[in-house]
Amino acid sequence: MATWLGWQIESNWTDPLLFATYSIIKPLAGASILVVMYAVITHGNFSAPMFQWIYVGSALYLYVGSIMTGISWGVVDDRERYRMLKYLYAVPTPFAVYLLGRGVSRFITGSFSVWITILFGVIFLKIRQSPEHFHPALFVVGLVLGLATLASMGLVLGAVVLTLKTHTEQLGDAVAGALYLFSGAAFSIAMLPAWLRPLAYALPLGYWLEVMRRSLLGPPPAQFATFAAWSDGQLLLALLGFAAGYALLAAGTLKVCVHSARERGMLDQVSNF
Amino acid sequence: MFPAVHKRTGWRAALMTIFGRAYPRVIGATRELSWIFFEIFLPLVAVSAYVFVYRGLGAPEAYVGFVVVGGAMTAFWLNVLWSMGSQLYWEKETGNLGLYIMAPCSLMSILLGMALGGMVATSARALVILLLGAVLFHVHFAVSNFAQLFAVFMLTMAALYGLGMMFSSLFLLMGREAWHFSHLAMEPVYLVSGFFFPLRSFPFWISAAASILPLSLGLDAMRQLVFPPGTIHPFLGVKLEIAFLAVLAVLFIAAARRLLDHMERLAVREGRLTDRGA
Amino acid sequence: MTDLSVDVQGLGRIYKTRGSPGSPGREFSALTDVNLQVRRGELFGLLGPNGAGKTTLIKILTTLLSPTSGSALVAGYDVAGESRKVRPRISMVSGGEASGYGLLTVRENLWMFSQFYGIPSGEANRRIEAMLEVLHMSDRLDTKSAELSTGLRQKMNIVRGFLTDPEVLFLDEPTLGLDVGASRDVRAFIREWMKEDPNRTLLLTTHYMVEADELCDRIAIINKGRVLACDTPENLKKRLQGEAIFQLEVTPVPAAAVTSLESLPGLHKVTHHEADGRSRLDLVLEEESALSSVLAHMTGLGIHLLSLTKREPTLEDVFVELVGTSMEEMEHDVSGGA
Repeated sequence: MATWLGWQIESNWTDPLLFATYSIIKPLAGASILVVMYAVITHGNFSAPMFQWIYVGSALYLYVGSIMTGISWGVVDDRERYRMLKYLYAVPTPFAVYLLGRGVSRFITGSFSVWITILFGVIFLKIRQSPEHFHPALFVVGLVLGLATLASMGLVLGAVVLTLKTHTEQLGDAVAGALYLFSGAAFSIAMLPAWLRPLAYALPLGYWLEVMRRSLLGPPPAQFATFAAWSDGQLLLALLGFAAGYALLAAGTLKVCVHSARERGMLDQVSNF
Repeated sequence: MFPAVHKRTGWRAALMTIFGRAYPRVIGATRELSWIFFEIFLPLVAVSAYVFVYRGLGAPEAYVGFVVVGGAMTAFWLNVLWSMGSQLYWEKETGNLGLYIMAPCSLMSILLGMALGGMVATSARALVILLLGAVLFHVHFAVSNFAQLFAVFMLTMAALYGLGMMFSSLFLLMGREAWHFSHLAMEPVYLVSGFFFPLRSFPFWISAAASILPLSLGLDAMRQLVFPPGTIHPFLGVKLEIAFLAVLAVLFIAAARRLLDHMERLAVREGRLTDRGA
Repeated sequence: MTDLSVDVQGLGRIYKTRGSPGSPGREFSALTDVNLQVRRGELFGLLGPNGAGKTTLIKILTTLLSPTSGSALVAGYDVAGESRKVRPRISMVSGGEASGYGLLTVRENLWMFSQFYGIPSGEANRRIEAMLEVLHMSDRLDTKSAELSTGLRQKMNIVRGFLTDPEVLFLDEPTLGLDVGASRDVRAFIREWMKEDPNRTLLLTTHYMVEADELCDRIAIINKGRVLACDTPENLKKRLQGEAIFQLEVTPVPAAAVTSLESLPGLHKVTHHEADGRSRLDLVLEEESALSSVLAHMTGLGIHLLSLTKREPTLEDVFVELVGTSMEEMEHDVSGGA
């Protein structure tokens, strides 16, 4: 029901304008910022392995924004515009299921974004995937574990939004933008100051992107050697641990935040100012 | 118990309206302390990511400065897009738009109030991001001409918030579709305005087309003025950019006024624009 | 200064719904040939069920909607052509609205609106405090409006409307959704405000008959976009003075029996309500003597009389007389059919 509702409200990829906006223009513009930054500094050396790693990593990172925004925006929209959240909360379906369902439409449009961006890179920016480097099993398991973890992170964010009176509209994008620093998508985690690195290692994003890029592009280039000593199995095991840990964290956060929102009467608030 | 009141009219009433509507923007935005986390910490972290991208690529340190200045200025674009552009639509949804139209003040004064409040609140955030970014990443500023820098900033703000006021009416007419437009205007504008690299990085005609966005020229001029000479290859000279920004400011504010009048006429004729959910 | 605060002549408003490919747009007439004059100093009521056109009329008079035909003057100015002269002289409060910003306190919200009307801050603050005092919510001055109950939020809105000292104030269902105590406070506030200055005019819409009867100098009964009658409450009720009105409590009455009652000679109108396993019949008889034949008919149908009261006509009876059905039944039909 929530997925259907989200789909009706959020998006219809058969609408050419919306499809173009969310699945082509936004992601390609975002990727183009990195491409221009890279081109300005390296004078357009797009065939370097480092660029392939940066480009594919940043394309896959689009999943983070779409899933986190999908879930947290559902809370804002249903609470403040449609004023339906209080009723949806009262239905027998678990609230977490509703929130996850509400984020599915953004996940689907996000998937288009990711793969269209990668396709663009293949066609125009010399992104090359050699068949001997492609590991389908690693790709599928990594994708499933990564998306499950991202969904839990989205639930944590959606739960936090429930308790916020302000700054809710762009929270998904803002958090995804901030987490980019710790993801290793466009630069190695080893580049971060030593005091920031533990935070990056405590987040699943770096591990996930490493698995996904290995499964598509093969071994990492020298500039991205953070996880070079880790085997594929070790990385998958770490991801599995993150998936379980974040699921527990999401359940706990949701419980605490829903309780707090109910106590403070925030299930039906409007935060416009 | 309720004696008759003496009401001000004319420009004094307009000023009162502007300050009255600016108040919730300045106070409301900071009443919840979470703004420090969401509007300073998170954007600063996002800006830091671009700094590390340049460092990872082995870029000259000047680019770190470009990113910090550009990152601070993104706060204004987000404010214009999400808090100016969509504001009249929200006012309709929360029942205030009808009260605004019915009040004796002009809608333009109310929009100016929103713009002023948004500008003041966002300037504080942008300044903090700029200072923290400069300290964290050792950015060296060397302002060559304070008067020109002030003129560039004020004209950029006037043009930018003029554009925001135009969006307000347009978004109201577009209804919910405006949300999609706002999303559409984020990354592409970050790209073409040169938030994270000099505008000159693009071919001339792309930079020229991007100059319709006030932040493109504003950022280019500000980078010329706050960094030592020779740090940046400018798109145009500062004086020319000031002149273009002045033209944009006049154009956008005049267009905002016309659109607002049109929107009000349409609202009164069709009776839709003041109804929630219509 | 004109003696008429509101002068409406032949006013009409048609709403057009937009069509889609394959289905043309439709037209809906919300107001038809409305004529109304409200005198300066008058507390005037517009009484009618939901969907009668009251809010449309208020929107036109407050310059939020243009009329399709006819004209309307408020404080002597044309609402369509001279809206900028009308607006400084009016204010409006709608029931159930949520004006202002939840993050601002009651005082801040009210102060903000006062600025839009050019009221100096000191004076605005004094008025805010005095008005909240009268409405028994001084202790909420510094409460964020998001934290107010529905009733308190509505009281804040009422203060917003009165704060700017309008020449003509429009209250659209001001007590909608309020509890008995809050409604009483609001009505007392309205009376106090009107008493203070004979030049103040107030136009109130309501579908609460008692409220209209208690507050208004004159009342217009409006239904389906047309004004059916306009007079003082007393004069409206006098229309029924030649008739006898009885309220009967009886054992349950089948719908067919109500229809058969309606055809009895001497019975002008009958309205029927079911509650707690009993039926209540309100009978308007041309003369008292018709009652015996009605009672005999009911006995023949197996309906037993439980109680009988003769009463004075109310605005509800006037409404039934004019419209043919009670407001409660109309609203039930509308909500049931919606």
